[in-house]
Amino acid sequence: MATPLDAQPELQLRPANQVMNLVRLGSLHASRLSFCRSLVRQMAREDWTVTTARFDLDVDGHGVVIYRLNTPHHIYHGVVFSQHLDPERRSDRVIAEAWDVTFALVEGEVEDSLLEQMAANVPLQEAGRQHPRLLVLSRANKSLRNFAHFVDALADGKQPDPAWLTKVGYLYRTTAVYGNGKFGIADYARLQNNPDFNRPFSAQMFAVYLLRHFSVQQVEHLARNRSPERAVGLHPALQRYLGIGNSTGLGMAPFLINHPQLIQQWVYCRERALAYARQQVPDDASRRELLALLKRARQHFAETVTEDAEQTRRNEATVVSIDAVIGWLERTPATSTLWNDLLGWAEGQCSLEAQELINTLLIELYPELIDSVEDELGCEEILELQPEMRAATLKQDIETRFAWALEYDPKNPDHQHWFWYRSAEKEEPRLGVRALEPGSEKEMPLAIGPRIHRTHQLLDAFLDRSPRGSVVEFLMAHPRQKECVRRIQTMAATPYGEIQANLWHRDMKPMHLLRTKLSFFGASRFDPKSDRWVRVTMFQGAPLFCELFSDHGTDKARLAELDDWSFPVEPELNLS
Amino acid sequence: MKVSFNELQGIGRKAFIGIGFAEGDAIDAAEMVAWMEAHGLGGVEALKKGLRFLLAEDHSESPTLVYQDEDFSVLDAHNHSILGNASLAVELGYARARGRGLSVTKIRHCHNRILIIGYLSRLARRGMNVTAFWRNAHDPLTELVVGFKAGHPVPEICLYSLENTPDDTEKNDGITLIMANHVDLLPSLRSEYELTNLMRQTEEDLERQRDRALVEGMDVDDELWHNLKSLADRLLVEATDASRSGAGAGTSDND
Repeated sequence: MATPLDAQPELQLRPANQVMNLVRLGSLHASRLSFCRSLVRQMAREDWTVTTARFDLDVDGHGVVIYRLNTPHHIYHGVVFSQHLDPERRSDRVIAEAWDVTFALVEGEVEDSLLEQMAANVPLQEAGRQHPRLLVLSRANKSLRNFAHFVDALADGKQPDPAWLTKVGYLYRTTAVYGNGKFGIADYARLQNNPDFNRPFSAQMFAVYLLRHFSVQQVEHLARNRSPERAVGLHPALQRYLGIGNSTGLGMAPFLINHPQLIQQWVYCRERALAYARQQVPDDASRRELLALLKRARQHFAETVTEDAEQTRRNEATVVSIDAVIGWLERTPATSTLWNDLLGWAEGQCSLEAQELINTLLIELYPELIDSVEDELGCEEILELQPEMRAATLKQDIETRFAWALEYDPKNPDHQHWFWYRSAEKEEPRLGVRALEPGSEKEMPLAIGPRIHRTHQLLDAFLDRSPRGSVVEFLMAHPRQKECVRRIQTMAATPYGEIQANLWHRDMKPMHLLRTKLSFFGASRFDPKSDRWVRVTMFQGAPLFCELFSDHGTDKARLAELDDWSFPVEPELNLS
Repeated sequence: MKVSFNELQGIGRKAFIGIGFAEGDAIDAAEMVAWMEAHGLGGVEALKKGLRFLLAEDHSESPTLVYQDEDFSVLDAHNHSILGNASLAVELGYARARGRGLSVTKIRHCHNRILIIGYLSRLARRGMNVTAFWRNAHDPLTELVVGFKAGHPVPEICLYSLENTPDDTEKNDGITLIMANHVDLLPSLRSEYELTNLMRQTEEDLERQRDRALVEGMDVDDELWHNLKSLADRLLVEATDASRSGAGAGTSDND
């Protein structure tokens, strides 16, 4: 279906070699097209309501809670199982076997028989067999320090210090959020005609958002049980400032590489939005609006805390760059070329994170048309062969569209330093050094660049023998190239599906891959624990369930207000 | 046990790579099995029957071209499963039909033939009209005709038995594929021979089956699932202390 952006004349898209550079992708931020933002807009626009259908927690906060979600189209239930967890069993890795809470989003009603089946299987996660009416399966661990501080403060009749949430912005962090048929739950195909959750990862995002609601209810419940007379509820400003954490590792990488058509859609939508924004004629109001957004983002990054030295340096560089951008923007009048002048200037003066921040904030300025592309973030994924194509044309396509892949040098050990594999320990994705560690013969084929390079070499030799040969003839001589060839043929028609990096290269930083995906989800507060493991925060600053009301989308000003929660900053509590 | 489409496809893909399939063949084979099962066409049962043969096959041996001209190709699949390596033979027919308007492709000496329907769906989605025909050497003799209309993801299928057929000493282990760019090639039950209509499945029947599979999941028996899981596990690397740090996780999550 055509969207209003399609009607815009000749959008000037950024070139793929700039956009799909891995270091730049690893500098992206959550934007208004990120899945968290998009979901909250939808919930507010459609007046989704959530009620507590069952709240059976004991004095320790353990038990079952069931929430009922009503949308204009369907009914769903979120079921949360909370249990005691010995500290030695608490691990964010996929190799864990127990968690503080496990939960699922169910389509339709939760009958007693289904609840019984879920109680026996959801807490087991991967080790259970899940029911096909479950749309999402997930689990989370407590942030112990925040949890204790919040319960102590509320039980004592006080509000927790907001600075605790600035340091770690959540009470729970998820360690996996499964959808699409995993362990027996519903296939994504089942949601494709469901207007509630037909966007990529929207059901998963809703489950995470629901856990945030649970976390508030649970700490308030614990505080009330500890001190019925003195306990107070969590201040609404702190409820808003509370997000949900996510702890994640290399498992993000296979998804990015194995879904190039989806990545193309995500990046293409963002780039079209940016191109559209750049094309608009600024006025003084939009210039001042951008300045306000920059100032809030500056505070957000200045407040962000991480123990990781590299990310700290990046955050500091971003703050320095934002100061410079604010200065430049304050002294530059709103001429018709202001946005392009700003971006041109920033390219030479600002860090990559700051450049991408400006892009992200420019997109914020023009919601009316830009939000229309959020329905295009999904696509049917199938890599198709064009067997009738001339092999010479395929070779030419590689040289023009995949030149980055031909930079691979099979004789250079640095170009094949790493290999990606799954461990026998719960199939955890890991990275090994090819020359030192066993298992490279079982590696996952994630390094697309070297594979394309190999196909190109074989094509070259084939064309010497059969200059007029077709692709299918080439494949009959080299059948193991089929997957790579259909990927090349499919993706050559699109600009942004392939991440332009050699994932074997010694200098490749896995963190960039993680951040790429997490930014599209809507994550913030990147807190790396190593070069391949990161904690992030989602939904920090997002409106609460009780605030999601816009008279079915007719109250535009309220919708805009509810949507304005990017780059949240520490609230000042008015406790008078 | 009940499994989802994605789960069946995923375990199939890993198991086929574990057996030794090239990645592209593994993806196609897994999709064929899952597609057939989701549409009520017995993908899992066919895989169960064929798995023993698949494990014994040489997966580096591709179909060889026995004869070809501009419109007609004959390939020998060397008594291999259609899952392993037949997709390129099908693609050859597709390429010929694109160039010439119509093509005939015969794949000789193959088994698990029913599963090819899952791959033909791909060609139909690319805008090709496809008919597949083969005989099963049961008593009575049966013929199976599968017809995809261009652009339609599901076919019409006719399976019928023939009471009286001339003597034929040729073994029934081949498939004939007819592809046409511009005209429908749907099966139509007319024959000079006496036949019994054993089964006819329309596009609507198959779509209903698929919708039901998405809601209820699909049945796979535990033994087959266990076998597929064991084959998939061949791709996993044994853990060592060094590899545990390869995930890069933090040392403590009790903070």
